[in-house]
Amino acid sequence: MGEKLKRLKFFFVALVLLCPVFVLSQVQERFPKPDFESGYVRPDLLTPAPRAAVWEYMDIFVLVVALSLATYFAHKQRSRRNIFLLMVFSLVYFGFYRKGCVCSVGAVQNVSYALFNPAYIIPVSIILFFVFPIVFALFYGRTFCAAVCPLGAIQDAVILKPVHVPEWLASLLGVFPYVYLGLAVLFAATGAGFIICQYDPFIGFFRFGADFNMVILGLSVLLLGTIVARPYCRFLCPYGVILSWMSRLSRRHVRITPDECNKCRLCEESCPFGAIKKADDESQPIKKEGDVKRMAVIFVLLPVVVFGSGWVGSRLDISLSRLHPTVSLAEEVLLENSGKRTEMIDATKAFRASGKPSEELFSDANSIQNQFHKGGWILGAFIGLILCLKLISLFIRRRQLEYDVDKGICLSCGRCFAYCPYEQVRLGLMTPEELRELDRRDVKIKQFRA
Amino acid sequence: MEKQPKEYMGKNRTELGYNIAKRIAVVAAVLAGILSVLMIANYIQTKSVDPLNSQAISQLMTKLQENPEDTVLIEQIRALDLLARKAYFTHQWQIRTGSYLLFTFVLFLLLALKYMSSLEPRLPDLTKRTEQEKAWESRLLSRKYILYGGLGLVLLAFILGVLSQTELKKIGIVQPEKSQGTSDYPSIQEIRNNWPGFRGPEGIGRAYFADVPTEWDGLTGQNIRWKIPIPLPGYNSPIIWEKRIFLSGADRRTQVVYCIDADSGEIFWQTELNDVPGSPERRPQVTEDTGFAAPTMTTDGTRVFALFATGDIACLDFEGNRIWAKNLGVPENHYGHSSSLITHQDLLLVQYDQNTGGRLLALRTQSGDLVYDQPRDVEISWASPILVNTGNRAELILNSNPYVMSHDPRTGQELWRVRCMLGEIAPSPAYADGMVFVVNDYARLAGIKLGESAELVWEYIDDLSEVSSPLATKDYLIMSASYGTVTCFESKTGERLWIEEFDEGFYSSPILVGDFVYLMDMSGVMYVFKADKEYQLINRNELGEMAVSIPAFMPNRVYIRGTKNLYCIGK
Amino acid sequence: MKEREAKNRIKRRDFFQKSFHTIVGLTIGGLAGILSSKSSAEEMVWQLDPNICIQCEKCAVNCVLPHSAVKCVHSYSMCGYCDLCSGYLQPGAKSRDTGAESQLCPSGAIKRTYIEDPYFQYTIDEELCIGCGKCVKGCNSFGNGSLYLQARHDRCLNCNQCSIARRCPSQAWKRVPASQPYILRGDESGKYLNG
Repeated sequence: MGEKLKRLKFFFVALVLLCPVFVLSQVQERFPKPDFESGYVRPDLLTPAPRAAVWEYMDIFVLVVALSLATYFAHKQRSRRNIFLLMVFSLVYFGFYRKGCVCSVGAVQNVSYALFNPAYIIPVSIILFFVFPIVFALFYGRTFCAAVCPLGAIQDAVILKPVHVPEWLASLLGVFPYVYLGLAVLFAATGAGFIICQYDPFIGFFRFGADFNMVILGLSVLLLGTIVARPYCRFLCPYGVILSWMSRLSRRHVRITPDECNKCRLCEESCPFGAIKKADDESQPIKKEGDVKRMAVIFVLLPVVVFGSGWVGSRLDISLSRLHPTVSLAEEVLLENSGKRTEMIDATKAFRASGKPSEELFSDANSIQNQFHKGGWILGAFIGLILCLKLISLFIRRRQLEYDVDKGICLSCGRCFAYCPYEQVRLGLMTPEELRELDRRDVKIKQFRA
Repeated sequence: MEKQPKEYMGKNRTELGYNIAKRIAVVAAVLAGILSVLMIANYIQTKSVDPLNSQAISQLMTKLQENPEDTVLIEQIRALDLLARKAYFTHQWQIRTGSYLLFTFVLFLLLALKYMSSLEPRLPDLTKRTEQEKAWESRLLSRKYILYGGLGLVLLAFILGVLSQTELKKIGIVQPEKSQGTSDYPSIQEIRNNWPGFRGPEGIGRAYFADVPTEWDGLTGQNIRWKIPIPLPGYNSPIIWEKRIFLSGADRRTQVVYCIDADSGEIFWQTELNDVPGSPERRPQVTEDTGFAAPTMTTDGTRVFALFATGDIACLDFEGNRIWAKNLGVPENHYGHSSSLITHQDLLLVQYDQNTGGRLLALRTQSGDLVYDQPRDVEISWASPILVNTGNRAELILNSNPYVMSHDPRTGQELWRVRCMLGEIAPSPAYADGMVFVVNDYARLAGIKLGESAELVWEYIDDLSEVSSPLATKDYLIMSASYGTVTCFESKTGERLWIEEFDEGFYSSPILVGDFVYLMDMSGVMYVFKADKEYQLINRNELGEMAVSIPAFMPNRVYIRGTKNLYCIGK
Repeated sequence: MKEREAKNRIKRRDFFQKSFHTIVGLTIGGLAGILSSKSSAEEMVWQLDPNICIQCEKCAVNCVLPHSAVKCVHSYSMCGYCDLCSGYLQPGAKSRDTGAESQLCPSGAIKRTYIEDPYFQYTIDEELCIGCGKCVKGCNSFGNGSLYLQARHDRCLNCNQCSIARRCPSQAWKRVPASQPYILRGDESGKYLNG
């Protein structure tokens, strides 16, 4: 025993010197396990279990109930107040209680990851979180966004003085969710990481824990959200892209008026999200000279643009692939092998000690870069296609005969309902006679100043 | 009748409600503001001084190392440590409570503000009829901006793509291997035509030419062509490339590399290496029987490399000019570093196993740049690496405690290891025909079969060598020990074939030249015997001087470095 | 005439909408079907593989929670109960006692109690442990390796993307089924089928 201790002391002293020894957790039984004579019993190792499965089912149940209620409140009851209360509940339950994870927005990544990586077993609950809001949107519009999504709810909660975002700006910024969606799917599918989760501005608040950068990001988005209503939902949310497609196809979408619109214009400013399509003034043109020719040009150029942007996307393979941990490790190893860096970092030390040959690492990295090459083609082509379609849609214009919602943008929040005088009648706040006599030019915006 | 719907979308509320909400909002905002400032201050404070890794405590701890009995210091450290821990947990508590409080204040603030804004419905200014025109212009603008924006995005992506693709190449699957025998490093054949390192080409103790003298006498001068004194001592063995002999010598003050003409014994040049960057001020401690120049030099045909006990490693050209030199870090070695150098293609490989752990280093022969520094899971060793071409791949095999390990010489990756060694390892491995042999006194002599991985197939535990490296031929394994025994085994099975006792012990190692084994004892006497299943002495040759180095061979020549002189034997 | 045109237009639009509707519905159904074939009813949780961990100390800093969910756990079945514990004592510690100057743990989370001669018990107070892994490094270098880091699931939020996993230099973090949420060492490793 004395010898062993002396040896140990020697090692401890040696450790004081600069020590390049690299220890992979070798489990070596250097000291024999003791036999206790005093009757001492070894304590048990506690292994607290994670959240029981029954609560996962509970979450899905709450999701379905909330979606159904949101749809019911929006379509049947047309009650803004109930939607608001449901939104608060969702904020508390899905946001602060469940800490905003797993959310439907992030589920996009899990689905992409599962489709391209057979090793990943996707839990059923995530599939359901992904599918249910989409199905509801396909039939009834984006009722998920208004009352169930916690990210939307927290943004909605801070809307104070929303400004009107000019159409052209909203249109332009509306390209970013597509880019974000494409990138998120690409990174998730190749296994590089979940960027939606990484850059989720609100998760820090839900968790009451975030690093400095996350706090700043979240605060900035929320501060912006006080004057620009739901900035993340409108200009960033990748899941919102899918929902907007579904919503556009939906057969039963909420309408501003429960009745036929009489173009009284009272609801014009009511939507903080710019989702109201104004009725056309008959005197105004809807097509410009040479529009048809221009549109034809775009159609002809469409394949060129799609191909071109696809090619550009493929050229991004190297820079995008560096976000993948395997590729970045391979780069570090190469840097050291070629002598450009003489000190090893933790990651390369761990890799070299693992015994995996660098050829294998390099070939893995190479195949990932190839995946990014192919994925880049698809991403680029997708973005190119979206840009062209957006341009084309700005040429196609049906005459808008009444005030209605833009099905893609409208979140079915119900704010606009109460502005419509027919709604006022329906709610019993105005009599039909008052409606007939309503001279809207006399309606003034009430100012409250203490 | 002018029925003014004076409160369109009005709710039953009063100015009072609005004012209350406003007051709550102000109070909540102020409180939230103060708390935010506090939390930011807290954050900045902990960022600058992490309580759990405090400088103050580390400084005190280093002081404690020097005065372990200083109780005042101990008390100080304990007090400081307690403070630090308290600070850390207080900080944690502060963050938690602060966040909850802040959340509550912000919640009240928001509620109040929302209530206030709900009292102001967003009604349009119906006097403005130009809304429609604006809408139309807006659409035109949208078109324009989407077009420009889209182009801009694609352009940006293009620039990013092009930039990244020029700066970074795609990661290649296979590192391009230079073909054999290109100008920068010698081919296998060229290596085997010379004696470029410790225990010959590839370090396995074998000379690839016959016609080597078998008889000489140092006392009478028979067959001794020349003998010259080497000014500085060194236990490293001479190496030869074409007609040049290289060896190094060093003492407490100086490190020198010598180049000697193989035919005439004339010293072509001697280069001093005393100003290597990074060289330690004070020489490390070494023992008498290791010295400062124990590692044998190596050459790749155009450059020579030397390593000394100070950790100084240098590369000279064949004219003696210094190409590069650096210090690898003073080795933690209580006898003195003695693992010799070896080259593989354009890499110079160094077995740098020390008391602080094992390492395998590879430097670019041209520039001395570090290519890899592979940590090894072993203890200190004085053995040298051998380079083995198994047919499938090249392996660099190193003997140390407790593993004999094989590495890929190009990348340093470990290929296999076998646990069979103990103690202070000095003998280097032997190799022949798919089998590797390692030995150490107090451990064992092990025969290891190579394949996909390596397998220990036989072992022997008597008469083990502690310095001398064994020699393997296709059929035999010959081991010499420092107390004078030489044992011969059947290499595949480990069956002992014969054992002979000699008067003097062996520090030098047996070398195979043709069918003969050349083995020199400590007094310089060279025994030449046949590599066969029976001991058959051909000749016993005196040198006249003590010698512990490995002899070097050339066609028709033998070169022996004694403790004082270098001898050339042959015609 | 215009009315009929308008009506036709509406019918056409309706038809397109209906068909898109069906196509999309089928796609979603198909997607859900494909996914459910590679799905399981179980949730996946994050866990650290102690045999790959290199004790780089990043677990303490990178967790989204202010107090990291990664804690050191002790396999009592593997522990040698040594007086000179290399996971408890600093290298070069002059005295083997509970003095702060000898302790490796920066937050004092390891408690040392005397059992019988010459054995000492070491327990970890999870409230104090910050998950830095200094004790794990010491124990693995010179001891039996009975101390190791694990994510504790009474604290772990099980984020979709674990911030620690993202920054682990040796890629030691993996998703494990919620029914086998720990990768254990020693005698406890038989607790789950995939120890």
